[in-house]
This record gives sequence, structure tokens and C-alpha cells, in this order.
Amino acid sequence: MGIPRTAHFSPWNLLLTAVLLLGAVVAHAADDQGYQALRDWIAAGNPADDGLPAGQHLGAKDRGELEAYIPRTAWTYYFFDDMDMEIAAHGHYPPPDTWGKTVKPGYSLDERGVLKGFTGGGYPFPEVTADDPMVAQKVIWNMLWRPGQNDFDMPMVTWLRGEGGKLDRKMEYISVTANYAKGDECLVPGYEEVKSKRIMEFRSPRDMAGAKDMSVSFVDHDREDSGWLYMPAQRKPRRTLASERTSELMGMDMIREDLDGFGGKVHENNWTYLGTRNVVATINVADNPEFGGPNQWVPNKARWEIRKAHVLLIEPKSKDHPYSHRVVFIDAENFWTLWMFAFDKEDDQLLRMSQHFMKYTESYVNEKPQQAPYMTLDTDKNLGQKVLMHLGETDINAKKPHATMTHCYTNKRVFSSARARQYYSLRNMISGRR
Amino acid sequence: MTFRRHGLPAALALLAALPFTSEAIVTINDDLELEGFLQAQNILRTPRMDDAEFVMQRNTAQIEGKYYFLKDSTAFGRFNTGKLEEATFSFVGRGVYDSIYDARPSYHDAFPGNQSLPGEFEGKVREAYVDLILPPFSLRLGKQQVVWGETDNFRALDVINPLDLSWHWSWESWEDIRIPLWMARGVYDIGKIGKLEESFFELVYIPWDVRHNIISTDPRRPWAFTGVGLAENPNSVFVGSQLKNLDLNVIDGSPGRKLENGQAGFRFKAVWGDVDFSVNYFYGFSADARGVLQNQFTRLDPTTLHVAYKTKYPRSHVLGFTANYSEEKYTQAVFRLETTFTTGVPVTVAPGAPLSVDPEQDQFETARRSVIMLAADRPTWIKWLNPDRTIFLSSQIFWRRWLDISHSYRGIGGVFPAELNGVVQPGRFISTNEDRIDQDEVVMTFSASTSYGDAGLLQPRFVFAFDPRSTGAYNQLSVDYLLSSHVVLRFQQNLFWRITGHKPGPWQLGDIWGHSGGNSRHESVFTFIYQF
Repeated sequence: MGIPRTAHFSPWNLLLTAVLLLGAVVAHAADDQGYQALRDWIAAGNPADDGLPAGQHLGAKDRGELEAYIPRTAWTYYFFDDMDMEIAAHGHYPPPDTWGKTVKPGYSLDERGVLKGFTGGGYPFPEVTADDPMVAQKVIWNMLWRPGQNDFDMPMVTWLRGEGGKLDRKMEYISVTANYAKGDECLVPGYEEVKSKRIMEFRSPRDMAGAKDMSVSFVDHDREDSGWLYMPAQRKPRRTLASERTSELMGMDMIREDLDGFGGKVHENNWTYLGTRNVVATINVADNPEFGGPNQWVPNKARWEIRKAHVLLIEPKSKDHPYSHRVVFIDAENFWTLWMFAFDKEDDQLLRMSQHFMKYTESYVNEKPQQAPYMTLDTDKNLGQKVLMHLGETDINAKKPHATMTHCYTNKRVFSSARARQYYSLRNMISGRR
Repeated sequence: MTFRRHGLPAALALLAALPFTSEAIVTINDDLELEGFLQAQNILRTPRMDDAEFVMQRNTAQIEGKYYFLKDSTAFGRFNTGKLEEATFSFVGRGVYDSIYDARPSYHDAFPGNQSLPGEFEGKVREAYVDLILPPFSLRLGKQQVVWGETDNFRALDVINPLDLSWHWSWESWEDIRIPLWMARGVYDIGKIGKLEESFFELVYIPWDVRHNIISTDPRRPWAFTGVGLAENPNSVFVGSQLKNLDLNVIDGSPGRKLENGQAGFRFKAVWGDVDFSVNYFYGFSADARGVLQNQFTRLDPTTLHVAYKTKYPRSHVLGFTANYSEEKYTQAVFRLETTFTTGVPVTVAPGAPLSVDPEQDQFETARRSVIMLAADRPTWIKWLNPDRTIFLSSQIFWRRWLDISHSYRGIGGVFPAELNGVVQPGRFISTNEDRIDQDEVVMTFSASTSYGDAGLLQPRFVFAFDPRSTGAYNQLSVDYLLSSHVVLRFQQNLFWRITGHKPGPWQLGDIWGHSGGNSRHESVFTFIYQF
């Protein structure tokens, strides 16, 4: 009775095992989703802003070129066998002609980095310089007051998917927002303290249909938003709390503070400016992108371009906050958030990330995006607005793992003062779909 | 009989045949949307948790629609309507088939002959109304629900629509058991005036549609209101020391549905600083009745006492104030307040009460009552219970005070076996009411809800209501599992219990449904919902 053949020691087996182990280590390192790996990737040097061939489609075989432009933390999701990234030439997306002309002077940052006295109409800090000790806060203020973030009807469809693309839930809802603070004037005279108002209503599935939320945000950053939630089962609005921003929203893979990359309070965080970095972004997609990859979590067959982005490191001061670090990439020309990565306080590994898809209104001349599956909008209204519009995003929870993908069918809407006063009122919240 | 025999299988086959992969909500075109649900609700009564019997198999089909027939001041796509900017027509229709009468012969046989089976079938348009938007004025006309106030599941200001408590008491969503009324509801948006923001004035007018709470007292029904004693009808009465038969005649005295019985109310609501408040007034009828003894019909013959009561729903004034405040810095909680002053509350007076209490000696009076409700809502992190999402905690204290009170006022009575000389008389039951109303009545509630799973598809909820005076309590443990966009599975356990004593309390909590009365109604509810 001899030793079983499979137990024979062989130098070839040893070599094969070593190669396999090495491969696993290399793959693991490549997909490192830790905070330090992202910092290393940022510090590795800024790739050229023309380093990818415009007009061509790049795929998995081009990963070597793309790795310099896709934040390392996202590689796991954005590189896959049949990936198709159309690379467009670097675009220029100027703001509305009146942008910056109605800004009321006299505003400032206080010692906490909180913007005081600003009422919109333009960027609060059109020029930002890396040597400014408050540059990170100034970039985020520009993001929070960017053009195009309000004044639209936005029907949306959201898919919540697990691994393998398993669809857990699909939701339809509509958000309608209006910008009140327009610089030297307010949309509705008498409401000068209001920054913007939003009403969002769920349409499906039926267990959420008719749920309606009205949110009022204020120009004073220290003042929490006011909110009311109408639930059809209760047939009355209920006051909501705004200061809890770290719980997942409606089963989605995001928290309120993740909205637009950063939706929290500036003074509740420490800020560090990490410089600028060229990254690829879906800054002006042709249409709401389809989702691809093994999990259908990320945009595929979409149009990308290289964008110069401000990179901000945001560290929550609260010991109870789920994030240790948040790194946000904000477009240097128009201050829209392109990528956001948030790391788990427990282990500094990726907890959540998001990536956004935008479309410039003037491209609607040649490219009409798809209509919402449940309503028809006149997208011709978008022409001439000269703003980027949000066409969706993907939000991934790396720890579950699970993702939420959203298509927004955004259409500009100009509210009259009278209409805004009527629409965004508590009166409109006391009854709903049923 | 064919439908009777095959009703449940047919309903299940229908459910199975539905297109589960279709989109939620049905959009006919840009103007018409339909949604709704099919629901099979099975209730297993588990008295004392040592036995079980099916008491309900309620199959419900509900369809809800909205027709946007006027948009941007254009009706039906062609007629200009000037300042009338928008209009919609909404409706909610519901059909119900309770198959328990087919599934359980004993239930069916309990209603011999031609007696209809209560609650077996229902088919009605629950709501149908038109919304007209004529800024700054909006008007809703039709059959509808109007809900005021800040309280959850106890009534103070939420008195406009009565409740149908006949089939599952108040343990259902109140949206489904409120009785919609034909009414007009107009809202004038004022906006900002002085320091007040978001202000509006609301007027509600119910021209003729007077309804009241529907309560079943038929002990053959699973959720009949039979008081604290036995699930029986009283058939005997003591006259002196003699046990007589009781011939009880209840005359319906509900106000008719006519214009002179109109009801109306108004509300002014606004935000002052960070405080959202309202002042409310409603002039209507009490939703509950008490019996007025008809002395002229009371007659005693050698074997039987003939008694007649006439139900009375008094006119009522309800004046209320509500407020809420979102405290974001220290407590991170929303505080709610509701307070009311109500007149015309009907109350039963004990037989033989002094003339100063019951001048007409008809065992009926009206009283005034006040309510103060304080509540707090807080989304709270309890990470060892849920690391991804907060748990929504909500608690309230509801304090009701009788401003007019007498030792002769009575609350919830009961039916008990008749005992003569210490011997129980078989088949003979008497009604007694020893439940003296307390001037101050208090109930406390607490609920917690959250969601689990990658997409939050598992949604548990815990509800606890407790009356500290009677020590009666109610617990609900439920969990919804959202199997898909269309299918929801729900399990719910209702528990009724008390700590000590025999006082039923005024809130229909523990003892009236609980074990100490011998009629425990602990129950397990299994519900399948297909929604579209």
C-alpha cells in the first residue's frame, strides 16, 4: 500500500501553487479598496488630460490606460469583460449667461468654514487656489451652490440590485425642485431665508406610492432643513427630522449625507484639499446610460471624458459617524460631483461609493435623451439653460455588497413666483395621491 | 353553492395567474393611472396561546385610480379653463370576500335560514372625488377622508370620518377602516403673513352624509364588541331578587342623512419659527352612541321585562390645537402636541342615579372632555440591532379628562351568567355594568420600526400600548417581507394582556380582548398581498 498519488510532492505542484498564490495577491492588491490605496493612487501623479484617445471605445483590454483615470477604489466594479467606454474629447460646459451677475457681495466664511450671508446667483468662490487654507471648504460651497442643481422636474427610476444583478426592488418617483435664492432677488419675495424647496413623490411600488416629502433648505447653513412627509396610510403630513443624515434611505445604498457627494454640514467635518486630479467622468452622456458589469451596477456603453477634478478629503468629527474618510472628486469647471468614496470607520475599507451621470442642456439640440417610462416631458425646454443636468447615478455599498442605480429624466422647469408659492406649500402636503 | 365551495381556490388561482413580472402601477396613458392590490388575510385566533382556530379569511381586491383631466388650464386637452389650473378625479374601489364562511361550516351554520353572512361580501366605491386647483384655492369634492391632528391611532381631532370597527376592530390601518364621507374640502393658501409661514385656511363641509362608527355586537362575529364578559347576548334580568326574561329592543336613533344634519369645521395651520401649529374646530355628531332608556316602553309582565333603548348620537363641538417641533440639536427628535376640548360626549348613567345626575332617569347624559397628547418621534441608532439603518421610535402619552364627571357614569359593561342563589342558570345571561368612569384616563404607546436586508425588504415593527390605570395592554409584533415589487408577505401577532385587576379601562386594550375575561383574542395574522 503506497502513498496516494495526489499526495506526492512535486516541484511542479509547488511552482504552480506559488504562481496561483502570487496571482491572487496581485489581484487583491489591484482591487484594494482601502482608503490608503486611494490616497496612493491620487498621490501617484496626475495623468495627462489628453491621455485617452477621444472618439474611441475602450474596453477591458485597455485597462492599463484607464487605471490612471478611474479611481482605484472603483476598479473592482468598472473593469469587466464586455465593458465599453466611449471616450469623448474634453468638453467645455459654460454656466448660464447671467451666472455670477446677481451675486450680492458681503458674504464670508466664518472660522468653521461655514458660508455666511451668501444668497446665490453664482459661485460663492469663482476662483479657488490650492494655497488657500479654506480651499476645500470653498470648493464644497461652490458645489452646493452650483448652477443647475434646482429648477426641474425630475422623474426617476431606481433599481436596487444585489450581486449577479439580482433585482431586489424597483422604484419610481418624481422630484420637483425650485431655487429660491437667486442672488439679489428671491423667487418668492418674503422667503429670502429659503435656499430651495423640493417635493418628491413616490409612484411605485404601491407600498410606497403616494408617499410625498417636502423639504425646505435655508441659506443659513446652520439652520437645519424643514421637512414634512405625507404617508397615504396616515392621510396627513408628518414632520421629519433633518439632522439625522447617516441612516440608509428607503433601503437604498446611500445615506442622506451622500447626496451629491456631500450633503452634510460643513462644520461637522474636517477638510483637506488633496489637489486636482484628472479622472474620467460621465459628464455629458448621450442618454441615460445602461448598466453593465457582472452585477449591472455601473454604467456601460456610456460616454466619458477626462475631467479635471478637485479632490477633497472630508473627515467627520463625530465619533459615531460610520465613515472614517470621504474622498470626493468635484469637477473643476462646473463643480458637479463626479465620484465619491466613503470608507468604513471600522477598517478604513470602502463602505459606499457613488458616481454621477450628467448631461449638458445645450447638447439636447442633437441628442434627445430617453423619456421617463411613465410620463412625457418636453425636453426642448432645456435648450438655452446652459447647465448640467443630473441624469442619474450609481451608489454601491461595498460591504453588503449591493447597489442602487438611478436614472433621472430631468427637465428644466422655471417656476413663477406665484406658482412656487402655491406648489411648495404645506397646503399641498395635506393630501396626496390617496 | 358552486361559488361558495370554490371561492377560495378560484381566488388563489386568479392570484397565481397574475403577471408577476409586470410593472407596478398601470399607466393607461399620460392622463390615467391605476394601481391597487389583491390581499388574502388569514387570521388565526390563538386564545391563551394554547389553541388555535381560523376566524377570518378576508380576501380583498382594491383598485385605485387617478385621472388627470385638466392640466395647465386645459381640460381634456382642448378646453381652456382660465384660472382653473389643474383638476383630477380619484377613486378607490374595494371588494371583499371573507371565505371563512365557506371554509368553516360552523361559521356558516351559525347563521341559519336566510340570514345573511355579515362581512362575507362587500363591494363599494370607498372614495371618489375631484380635486380642483385654482390658486391660491384648492377644492376637493366627493367621498373622501380628512384627517386632522398629530395623534396616532387614538382619536381626539381625527373625528371627521367615523370608523368601521365591525370586522377587525381598530387593528387595521385606519386608512382602510375610516368611513369616507361625501363632503367638500376647500383650502385657501395664505402663505406668509407676519411671522407666520406656510399658512392656510381649510374649510370642511359635510352637507348630509352623517355616519357613525360601525360596531358589531353580534357575538357570532369574531370581532364583535361584547364587553368584558361572555360573548353572549343578555336574555335575562334581575327584577328585585327574581330572574326574569329580558326583552331588549334597541331603536336606531342615528341622525338621518339630511341637510339639517350638516357638519362643518375649519382649520388654520401655519409655521411660526420652527413650530408647525394648527387651530381646529369641528361641529358634528359624536361617532359613538349610547342608549337612552325609553321609559314609556318599559313594561314588566309575569315572566319578562320589556325594555327599549334608543341610540343617540349627540351633536358635538370639537375645538383643538396641534403643534409639532423638530428639535435638531440636543434631542434630535420631533415633538408633537395635540389638545382638544369636546362637548356632547355621550355617556351611560347607571340605573338609579340621582336626579342631579340623570334628571330624565333615562340612563343617558352628555359630558365635556379634554385631551392632551404629547408625543416624540426619533430615528435612533441602535447599531447592535441594526448597523445600517436607524430604528424609528415613536411614543405618545394620551391623557383624556372628563370635565363633567359623576360616580354614576359607566364605561364598558359585560354579559355574565345569571346566578340564582349561587347557582348558575344554564343558558341565561345578564348584562351588568360596574365599570365606573375615571375622571382621568391615560394611555401610553410606543412603537419601533426599521428595515433589514440589503434593500430593506424585511420590515419589522413593534407596537405597545398600555393603560397604566387598568394595566391593560396591547402588543403587536409584525414583519413585512417585500418579496418583489408586487408581492408582500406579512405576519402579525397581536397580544392582549393585563398586569392585574379587573377594570377594563376605556381604550379597548387588554382585558376587553384579553385572557382575564376568558375570551382571549390573541391572534396571528398571515397576509399575502399582490400589489400593482
